[in-house]
This record gives sequence, structure tokens and C-alpha cells, in this order.
Amino acid sequence: MSNKAELHRQVVQKFLDTKAVDFAAAGKAIAELGPSVSLSEEPEDCFCWTMRTFFHSYRLPNPTGPLEDLGALRSATREL
Amino acid sequence: MTTPSIHFANDTWDEDDLVQRLCQTLDFAERALRQLADSGYTDEMEQEAAVRPEKLIAETGVLLLAASAVSSYAAIGPRILRVASLLAPHARSQRILRGICLEPAVAFDYATAHICLKRVGFYDSDFDAMLDLSAASNASDGRERAPHRMLEQEWLRQSWLYPEGLVRLRTTPTVTNSALNRTIDLFHGTREDVYCFTHALMYITDFNLYPRSLPRCRQILLAEAEGMLARCLDEQDYDLAAEVLLAWPLTGEDWSPAAAFAFRVIAKVEKAAGFLPAPTTRIARMKSLDKQTGSKYFLATAYHTIYAMGLLCAASLSPDRLPPQRIPKGTVRAGAIDTVLKHVDSETRRAHWQEEFDELEPMERESLADFVLGIGLHRAFGRRDFEAMQQLLAAGAALGITNTPIASQAAEIMSRVAQFANHLALDGPLGSQATSGFVPGISSNGSAREAVAAQAG
Repeated sequence: MSNKAELHRQVVQKFLDTKAVDFAAAGKAIAELGPSVSLSEEPEDCFCWTMRTFFHSYRLPNPTGPLEDLGALRSATREL
Repeated sequence: MTTPSIHFANDTWDEDDLVQRLCQTLDFAERALRQLADSGYTDEMEQEAAVRPEKLIAETGVLLLAASAVSSYAAIGPRILRVASLLAPHARSQRILRGICLEPAVAFDYATAHICLKRVGFYDSDFDAMLDLSAASNASDGRERAPHRMLEQEWLRQSWLYPEGLVRLRTTPTVTNSALNRTIDLFHGTREDVYCFTHALMYITDFNLYPRSLPRCRQILLAEAEGMLARCLDEQDYDLAAEVLLAWPLTGEDWSPAAAFAFRVIAKVEKAAGFLPAPTTRIARMKSLDKQTGSKYFLATAYHTIYAMGLLCAASLSPDRLPPQRIPKGTVRAGAIDTVLKHVDSETRRAHWQEEFDELEPMERESLADFVLGIGLHRAFGRRDFEAMQQLLAAGAALGITNTPIASQAAEIMSRVAQFANHLALDGPLGSQATSGFVPGISSNGSAREAVAAQAG
């Protein structure tokens, strides 16, 4: 798990660093289009919802690093 | 799965050591309640470090109930009382009561700690009256749940109705549909799949207090649990490893060589770190916080794994459930482990289990040949190195150690990979044609059909 999680984190960081996704622009577009599109479609075609999906937002669950060194954990937590 | 041989009472794990570990968990629970039960913990930098107070409160209740099975130990009983007294006002707070009042479909989730406290002798009839109203409402069954969550609801309801002793229920469709009655994907399954298995087992066995019948033969369940254990141990996912290990003391089966070894590994890890750690506890983050917040961060990120170890120690202290101190001798051909190890990629990373493995006596190492084969298969699959999988399967089949669910699933993967490769070869101008071959001695899921391992060219 830990190795995969670290890899996931690196992948996400890499994409964020490319600035390929402009989150501010995406948010602005959603704010502008969302209300009218949500209302204008048939009931089951919801904006940000099911059927015809206009916007996908993914978050990788629980990206954590590898297990820390056991001795270092012992001394770090002993101080608490 | 390697069959363990009979071992004698003086070979068992030191009882006092397990008692001490469980006491340490209960002391930790007391500390966690004091610091987190009011408002939990949130972290602006690390979302996964956050814990809601309701979750901690509910899981502390479950820990107390599990520990109550061994409350006769002089050091444990008073600690249970102390933590229970501390837990009760949080378990029955206005916040929890409001949840039960307004959200009947999740009333039993809110009431988990209350129900566990009731079972250890801490009653509250006023709180019961509110839960009674909510449980009787039209919307009380209004949430769709996964089978293991349905089992949890059944278990909570039974625990609430019969706190002095659960009625022995028949096998219901909920049990039949749960992970206990189906084989999980040991290679590509998620952590959540394993949690479905471990949690279903906790509810159906009632932590050794009033166990129900298992939907399948326990030897089959435990053979699959070994496949899960191979993965958790190699990935150093000790939270999950401790929960999977519960399968042995909760079903009452003798500890297999793999289970006994895994117990040794996590016991040693716990000793080395001072607690059983999870990767969510990051030293740098902890040190970046002031002492009080750092302490809360530690408790929030570590409590679940520490509780899992506490549950394991409590279950292992039940009569005749102590793990063996030495790895039971299995029926494995001499020299098998060296053959398997040649095929297990050492990688640059060395997991804790490998350090412990090196300290075993030769006979103990031999008993783990099929388990190490499973780890090797899992590693090879992680790299999508099908050639290595094929070599491991062939070596294992020659040694007669492939009669395990993980080897069966690996053989099935190879069969599918070969077919896929053939499909690609027919579709496009691949340089080589896939070939398929048989690895004798590997059966899939115990069925009569001949298992196939194929080599993707």
C-alpha cells in the first residue's frame, strides 16, 4: 500500500506542477454554467451528477507515504 | 495452506506479554478519549489524519466489548471499568442522542458505543428509550448497506436487545452475501475488500462471546485469509494485518505457520515502535505541530491500528487461542524454501517480515514456503511480471506447495493473460505468438477442473 500511495502522490504532484488543470477557470465555468444547465436539461441529466456528466472531479483516497522508521517513531511519540 | 502440527502448551506465546499489550491499548484508549472524544481532530495539511469523535467513540466501545471477554485478568478488568466510565458520557452525549433522534436510519451507528457499554454492564434506560423510538420508526431501515455493514446492524441490534447474551441466529442471506461466503480477489482486490472480510468475521463471531456459525468451512476461510495476510504483511499494512490475523483466534482454529509468523512480526514491530504503527503517522508533520496538537495528531492517526492490535491480543487471550511461540512445523518438502526464495525478488526495500524471517530456525523457515510463495506471487503481480509469476508457479507446483487460494488465483491470472496475449497477437502484428502451458498440481478454487498456468510471450 505505502509504495503505491507514494507513487499516487507523485503522479498527482506531477500533474499539478504542469498547471495543465486550471482549477480557478474550471470553477468559474461551473459557477457560470451550472445553474442554467442544471435547470435546462431533463430531470435525470443533472449537472455534476449522473447520465450526461459534464464535470468529473477525482480525488485519490488516502495518499500516504511509506511506514516511518520504527525507532524514529518510538522516540518521536515518546516526547508527546 | 500448510497444515500445522500439534504443539504443546509450553510452546505458546507468553500470556503476560499479551495482557501487557492489551493493557497498553486500553491505556492508549483512555488517552485518546481524553483528548479527542469532544471534538475529534482535523488537519489542514493532511486530510487522512482527521478523525470524527463519533468514530473514535464507537470503536472504543467495540474495543471494550472485545476486551471484556478476558476481563478476568487482574490487570484488564479495572482498566475496562476505567475506560468505560470515561466513555459513557461521550457515548450518551446530547450530540449522539440528537443523531439518534434525527437520523433513525443510522441510529445504531450512533449508538454503537452505548450498546457495547450496555453489554459490559453500563446501562442507561433513558438513552435506550430514545433508541427504542428511533429503531421503531418507519425510516429505521432506510439506508442501503453492503452485506458486512448489514451484518454490523444485525449484530448491534442483537447486542442491544440481548445484552446479557446474544441469541444464536441462523445463517441469514446477509451472511450468505457477505465476504465470508465469497472468495475475494487476492491480487487486485482493494483494502476495503479485506475490511469487508475482517469486519464480517468480527460481527459473526461476536469477538468470541456468542459466535454464530460460519457460512463456509473455516479451513477454506483461513486459507484465503493467508492470501490476504501475505499482501498486508509485505506491504507493511499492519492495521489490516492485525485484523486479518483475528481470523485464527476468532474461529478457534490452530494458528497456521503463516499466521504464527505474522503474529511474531507485528508483535516485534509493536515492540520496536512502542505501538503498532500505520503509514498515516508522519513524524515530520507531528514535529511541525505544537506539543498539544502533535499529541492529538498522533492519537488520531495511530489509534485505529493500535486498537486492532488490542482486539487481536484480547481474542488471543481467550481459552486455547494463544498463538504459538515458534512456527508450527508444516508438511513441506525439505529445501523448498530455498527454491522459493530464489524466485522471490529481493528488491531494494526490505520489509519487516524479512528481518524476522532471517532469524527463524531452518525448520521454521521451511514451514513458510507456501506463504513466501504467495508473497512472491503478489510482488510479481505488482510489477506485472508475468514471467516471474509463471516461474514461481512452476517452482511451487514442483514442490507441491501450490494448493493455496493465492496460487490458484495466480494460475487463473496466467490463463487469462495467455488468452489476452493470443487475442492481441491475432489483432495485430506482434513480434511473438503467445504460448500456453500447464503447470501441473495447481487447482483453481478447489474445483475438479484442471488448472492452467500460461506463459504470455
